[in-house]
Amino acid sequence: MREINKILTIAKFTFKEIIKSNILVNIFFLGLGLLLVTYVAYSFTYGEPARIALDFGLGTLSLSSVGIAIFIGSGILAKEIDSRTVYMIISRPVPRYCFILGKVMGLILVLIVNVLLLSTLTLSAYFFIGGEFAPILMWSILFILFEAIIALLVVSLLSLISSQTIAVILSMIVYVLGHAIDGVKLTSMIAKNKVLESIIDVYHFFLPGYYKLNLKEHVIYKQNIELDYLVNNTFYVLFYSLFLITLCVLTFNKKNLD
Amino acid sequence: MIDFCNVSKVFNTDLLKKDFHALKSVTFNIPEGKTIGFLGANGAGKTTSLKIAMDFIRPTSGEIKYNESLGKNKLEAFKNIGYLPERPFFYPHLTGLEFCHYMGALTDLSKAEIESQVNVWAIKFKIDFALNRHIKNYSKGMLQRIGFLATLLHNPKLIILDEPLAGLDPIGRKELKDIIVQLRDEGKTVFFSSHIISDVEEICDSVIFLKDGEVVFNGSVDQIMKDNIKPETRISYFDGDSLLTEVIPNNKKEEYLSKLLKDGKEIVSLQAEKPTLEEIFYNVKKN
Ligand SMILES: Nc1ncnc2c1ncn2[C@@H]1O[C@H](COP(=O)(O)OP(=O)(O)OP(=O)(O)O)[C@@H](O)[C@H]1O
Ligand SMILES: [Mg+2]
Repeated sequence: MREINKILTIAKFTFKEIIKSNILVNIFFLGLGLLLVTYVAYSFTYGEPARIALDFGLGTLSLSSVGIAIFIGSGILAKEIDSRTVYMIISRPVPRYCFILGKVMGLILVLIVNVLLLSTLTLSAYFFIGGEFAPILMWSILFILFEAIIALLVVSLLSLISSQTIAVILSMIVYVLGHAIDGVKLTSMIAKNKVLESIIDVYHFFLPGYYKLNLKEHVIYKQNIELDYLVNNTFYVLFYSLFLITLCVLTFNKKNLD
Repeated sequence: MIDFCNVSKVFNTDLLKKDFHALKSVTFNIPEGKTIGFLGANGAGKTTSLKIAMDFIRPTSGEIKYNESLGKNKLEAFKNIGYLPERPFFYPHLTGLEFCHYMGALTDLSKAEIESQVNVWAIKFKIDFALNRHIKNYSKGMLQRIGFLATLLHNPKLIILDEPLAGLDPIGRKELKDIIVQLRDEGKTVFFSSHIISDVEEICDSVIFLKDGEVVFNGSVDQIMKDNIKPETRISYFDGDSLLTEVIPNNKKEEYLSKLLKDGKEIVSLQAEKPTLEEIFYNVKKN
């Protein structure tokens, strides 16, 4: 019970620290820019402005969330270790795993705030222009949050085993690959090549399948999507996150904090 | 309260370079209720020892034992330890008060307990005026003070400070030293590192001196002074208008004095030649 309180305390102050570092102002301006772009698109396109509003909105939401996850996430552990603020925490009766969980949770809270703010804006613009509600809208926003959480865990883990810069670069590569891999698998040329195929299978097993969380096409073109698919991928996120968190904790437990 | 048992630490930063032995079989214990100075030149291994004591890094060999009086296991022991790192760095966007709440909550204190502790200590540390400012605007001395304050919030039995006086002005040093003395009078154990020997001489019961990763002296300040008193006397006298000082071996002292008196010189002082810890430690040899 005590441990949970400590995790929550660390999460709370991590959240406070990030929020106070003016990130909210940045998100606000991003949102403002978003509204502006939507307005311009609305004024100049014929046809389907609502679809465009959604396209821009979800795109910005996803990029900003992953951006926050990767850029701030790369620092939440690495910076604490470099600047030795971590000493202040683990010199108290706080097990090391609590530190990791608290830090990650704090940044997840920031991600949630970002998603809430920007999706509210996007949806308001969309409804204002005359878009219609569909449950998949909510799913796609949720999946964007999932995507950012996985990116956060990936970058946290990488920042524990390499440097902050390398962690950022690798995370971006993994992000791009994780989205591309679905398309690659479908290419018939590769499907015929057994070796490549098994490489990709291995990849699938270890690296995050970001493509599973991309619902944008479905949303924008209102394609039907089965509930099974959504639920399965939610479980995928759950297990994959647990896997990453466990690796983070094990790495951090072993780490020399110089 | 903490025992170091043959603790060694080897750093190998580079595959190509030779291993660096930062600590060589360091053995000592921190006795309860004492104020102990942990001395050594830059790079002697003080910070490394403290990091090992706090389990931030692991020793290459040997072990650290926390006494029963601190707690059954590491986490329990940490409830009774207050630790201030060297060159502490804080969360720039939190205020001093928020930082204290953060640190207090991690040591299982309630909000009310934290408030009352902060109220007491902030005044003693003369930091009460800045509690609501962001830490990024604190001066170096203020950082040292808020850090020290945070290590005392949970009323720890053992206080470990890594160069608590570094970077402070003379008044600040005096104030923090007074607080350390007060803590000692309350029966706390204080273990602090420094390379300024006079500070240690002033407020410590005993000293542990580290040189190139080895303990070369461990004992009380009085003992080391007694052991190092030289058989010499320093005599100051006026010769006309000029004040002269000479150091005379004790066996020639009386002879020399009677000569001075016969010549009608005015003797100002007569003192056993007592080295400072500074002098002792620069000459400390391994036995
Ligand atoms: N992570 C590390 N890798 C390699 N060498 C290290 C590492 N940490 C410390 N050292 C070396 O170990 C030695 C002892 O360092 P330490 O910081 O313990 O000294 P110190 O006694 O605290 O000195 P100071 O008075 O300057 O604070 C130094 O020579 C330092 O370069
Ligand atoms: Mg040091």
